[in-house]
Amino acid sequence: MTDKDNIMLEEFFKQAAQQQIEDNGFTERVMMNLPDRKIELIRKMSCVWTLVCIAAGIALFFFLGGWQVLEGLVFGGLRMMLGWLEVMLVTAPTTEIPINPWVILLMVAFVLIYLPYQTYRKLSATL
Amino acid sequence: MAELSDISLVTQVAVFRNKKAFDQLVRKYQSPVRRFFLNQTLGDEQLSDDLAQETFIKAYVNITKFRGISSFSTWLMRIAYNVFYDEVRSRKQTEDIDESPAVRHTSASGDSNLKMDIYAALALLKSEERTCITMQLIDGYPIEQISKITGIAENTVKSHLKRGKDKMANYLKQNGYDR
Repeated sequence: MTDKDNIMLEEFFKQAAQQQIEDNGFTERVMMNLPDRKIELIRKMSCVWTLVCIAAGIALFFFLGGWQVLEGLVFGGLRMMLGWLEVMLVTAPTTEIPINPWVILLMVAFVLIYLPYQTYRKLSATL
Repeated sequence: MAELSDISLVTQVAVFRNKKAFDQLVRKYQSPVRRFFLNQTLGDEQLSDDLAQETFIKAYVNITKFRGISSFSTWLMRIAYNVFYDEVRSRKQTEDIDESPAVRHTSASGDSNLKMDIYAALALLKSEERTCITMQLIDGYPIEQISKITGIAENTVKSHLKRGKDKMANYLKQNGYDR
């Protein structure tokens, strides 16, 4: 890189360096697109309000014994389900359930004919 | 309204959200910011204006973060630099600004042949080389300030300038500018 090259580069960029870009409404467009302070404030307030509500909810949950309620619901539901399963297992072998052969036939037809047909139709439509 | 210094305008915007003060700042700096983007995008006016607008909006939103350690123009150019490189990164998957042909981007609004040559020459450079070259030779920033704006170490800026100038000089010689 010689001094001559440097001078040549400076000359080459001289015009670009002096170029001033006219505003042509640019500033107005920027000013129109600036975020509104009121909207900004409302957005911030709504964020703060959401956080306050979450904090209040968590505090109330612990203060009013929310864990016990949750525990009761989970374990109560589990106990009920186990009880129902136990009754079914004990009574099922001795219970007579009337079976309609037409219903069985319809179910078999649904599984063996209708389902494969629908699957084939959907696959051929996508491929 | 009398011409106020940058610091007092920034203070008015930061403390009172004075839009008139910000309007003055935009008017004052729109030309260097838009010119910076024009050079980086190789003359794509639409993209340059969009990026310049984004720069000013970011400056307005984050004006309270301006500490006054550097000048307002340096701070603004740093935002512009970051906006441009965010755009480059987001476009990398689809279209590379670096490799876009200069002629395609050149505006139809009466650009001279020299201007087309400048963009064609700048298109030969790598993105960082182009940034350093245009900041020094067009915007007139010293190496120290280029380093502050770009966050690139001064020695690396010097290397980019050296490599970029070599490429440009070769291009100019091949196109008869040395005669």
